[in-house]
Amino acid sequence: MEASDREPLLARLRGVVGDRYAFADPYEMRLYQYDASPETALPDIVVIPGTALEVARVVKICADAKVPITARSAASSLAGGTVPVDGGVVITFARMDRILEIDPDNLRAVVEPGVVNLALSQALKPHGYYYVPDPSSQGACTIGGNVGTNAGGPHTLLYGVTVNHVTGLELALASGELVQVGGCKSAAATGYDLTGLFVGSEGTMGIATKIWVKIQPIPPVQKTLMAVYPDVETASNAVSTIVRNGILPAAIEMMDKLSIQAIEAASHAGYPLDAGAVLLLEVDGIPELVEELGERMAKACRESGASEVRVAKNEAERQALWKGRKGAFSAMGRLSSDFYVMDGVVPRTRLPETLAKIDAISKRTGFKICNVFHAGDGNLHPLVLFDAFKPGQYEAVLRIGDEILKLCADAGGSVTGEHGIGLEKRENIRYVFSDDDLEVMDRIRLVFDPHGLMNPGKVFPGKAHKGSAPATVPGHAPRRAAAVAGGDDVWV
Amino acid sequence: MGVNARVQTLPGQEITVEEQRRFRVEDLLPSRVLRPADAQDAARELRLCDLAPAAVVTWGGGTQMRLGAAPRRYEIAFSTDRMTRLLEYEPADLTCRVEAGMRLRDLQESLLAQGQRLPLEPPHPDRATVGGMLAANANGLGRARYGTVRDWVIGIAVAYPSGKLARAGGKVVKNVAGYDLMKLHIGALGTLGVIAEVNFKVQTRPQVEATLIAHFDTPAPAIDAGTTLARQYLAPAAAVVLDQGALRDCGLTADWRWTLALKLEGYGREVEAARDRATGIIRDAGGRIEEAGVPSAFWDRARDWSAPDDDLVVLRAIVPLAALNAVLAAVPTDSHVMAQPAAGLVDARVAAGSAAATLERLRAAAGDEGQVIVAAAPAGVKKGLDVWGPPPSGFPIMHALKQALDPNGILNPGRFVGGI
Repeated sequence: MEASDREPLLARLRGVVGDRYAFADPYEMRLYQYDASPETALPDIVVIPGTALEVARVVKICADAKVPITARSAASSLAGGTVPVDGGVVITFARMDRILEIDPDNLRAVVEPGVVNLALSQALKPHGYYYVPDPSSQGACTIGGNVGTNAGGPHTLLYGVTVNHVTGLELALASGELVQVGGCKSAAATGYDLTGLFVGSEGTMGIATKIWVKIQPIPPVQKTLMAVYPDVETASNAVSTIVRNGILPAAIEMMDKLSIQAIEAASHAGYPLDAGAVLLLEVDGIPELVEELGERMAKACRESGASEVRVAKNEAERQALWKGRKGAFSAMGRLSSDFYVMDGVVPRTRLPETLAKIDAISKRTGFKICNVFHAGDGNLHPLVLFDAFKPGQYEAVLRIGDEILKLCADAGGSVTGEHGIGLEKRENIRYVFSDDDLEVMDRIRLVFDPHGLMNPGKVFPGKAHKGSAPATVPGHAPRRAAAVAGGDDVWV
Repeated sequence: MGVNARVQTLPGQEITVEEQRRFRVEDLLPSRVLRPADAQDAARELRLCDLAPAAVVTWGGGTQMRLGAAPRRYEIAFSTDRMTRLLEYEPADLTCRVEAGMRLRDLQESLLAQGQRLPLEPPHPDRATVGGMLAANANGLGRARYGTVRDWVIGIAVAYPSGKLARAGGKVVKNVAGYDLMKLHIGALGTLGVIAEVNFKVQTRPQVEATLIAHFDTPAPAIDAGTTLARQYLAPAAAVVLDQGALRDCGLTADWRWTLALKLEGYGREVEAARDRATGIIRDAGGRIEEAGVPSAFWDRARDWSAPDDDLVVLRAIVPLAALNAVLAAVPTDSHVMAQPAAGLVDARVAAGSAAATLERLRAAAGDEGQVIVAAAPAGVKKGLDVWGPPPSGFPIMHALKQALDPNGILNPGRFVGGI
């Protein structure tokens, strides 16, 4: 954007949010050029509105000026979902982080988009309730971002992902209107389910300014088991056996040998270093049932080839087991300076062959690939380890990622289970959808955003966008692994 | 153009008098019938309807045909009765893919053979089809515990008037690729496309089922016991509050006035604990546990109660849990009611003569956050009723979506919210 365009726009935006909350200083813009993906692009202006009405007015001003708008909260997107590839205005929700209502009588809570996922469950805890979707980044990611990507997490195996827990939305649309859609407090509204349609649309239909969510009673007891397997194949077969035998745990997570080594070095979770694979399983419920299910699950694990089954004896042990899993991505810094993560999904029964193929890719290319993932629902997170300072490695890793997503799609799966298509996978989406499928989706997008201003360049394949995708810009260093950078800032 | 000349230009087979009667909607009869063989065929035939253009009403089992306003036009009955195959089913993945014309009962039988089920029980599963269940968003009594249709559909293939067959979602239980068009078509009453195939996730059948019946002198404590249970861990799989008439319809004649019936499901220990807890809550609310139990067909009849085959007027209120008692109090005494307290839902079979006045009273009681719709009514009565109530706040977008996907307005014209 030329300065001659930017200055008057900035002035108008400042008229809405105040001088302090709209800025365009080049140094500050650099802070908003990235998310948790390797992609970057500079915005022209950043706006931090304080109310829904301000968001709507900001959107209206941008839309009138035909300036792209990208919504961003914690910017923990692993798919480049919040990178402003066409520049324009980034709207961020740091000031809209209020829990507006906790309503146990109607099993609902109402939040602003900037509320941190974990903060909601913490606020609900004294009432005996929680908000179910728990992305591993839940200490940082926001409910607004969760709505954008239809975020999942380890415990969505039994209880469903974000869309299953959102009943209504207030939306700022490209037209500048603020509309309320969905059931809000009651079970349903008349008309099309715009709430369900909007969740997971990655900011391309508008911006959620208020979110009505279901809340659920906290399970009285949780029991976490760790089962040790000689290899990933035995472990992944075990997942199908356990589920097929009528126990659907609240979570089943898998870590392979390489991940275990990284995690142990970083967080000393107590995973055995000589294991080929570890499954982390959790059941919840009333104490007497959890006891019984825990025993049945331990038995099923042993019968499916586990050499050892360890049950967390208390909350501290349980937290230690989960800490290892949730910190897995940051632990990768122990193994490699950089990594590239994928988010493919395969039917549970296709896990063994898919993991074997990924292993073959690793052997063929010479790049180490770790696997830490939501095994219960077949949601893989292969991490390709590399060194961004070695010429050609990043490009090679992107090709590996592409190959892995293709094989997930060919196994009857998907190219993204919870991270979203974003910028990263907008060409890979063709592996799962035909031109006709995408044409219908695009027609729907145009209903909400006829001028293509809402988070442009995301979800749909198509024209090349501005911005500095590392594959094309020489000298660009992809994101360094978190442990090297010195913080827990990358999760999955 | 004369009527006969017009009919000559329409796609599809000539229709017999018997078929005309079978595919009647309100007091309108179709001129032609189309019976596509599969999803691709459905898309091709829908294109022909669009070229005419001819008004289409999609038919599954016909169990929800009383829902919605009368069609503005109706020329072609578009029946899915040849699309009945179970296309894929992998028990270990807990997923399946079926054609839209498959009957719910047939699907459940295939799943049962593997110890699994789809925990959705819309009325009349012997006739209701998968596609109809989606289009009408027909949910059973388990919605508070197991969610609704939208929580179990993981993929969809839809035939559009453009002649395209387009998919969304997929075959895996966790998937965020592309727009979630499953949600758009569920409850859209066939106004945006013809649902041709559906992918579901399914679940293992619960190990134990039990029923608990209690009676009350007045409805409020029965409702309160039901909502208290819904707010706790171990929520019942179904909870219904019935008056005497509804209870009799479900096969149980009794001299008490109000009944709370609970279906408990789960692992054995869970069901035992749930029974103990429910017993305590019911006694605290002043209810008396009935030890005699219920007839075997009780839950089936309760499931079907909201979609009667006869010409009854059924109003459905969907309200915040806290507003349930106000709605129940507004139901006239000559009506019969069945409420699902955990889901915030009240169904009332009301007298045809006073249906309009009752609808107004219920809407006032439901408040801003509630909805009251006409779930079923004979054509004559329906003409005087505002079937859907005022259009919701997102209506202009809904209208634009309809324009985008069905520009000639051939799909179920006039039946849906706001005249869509």
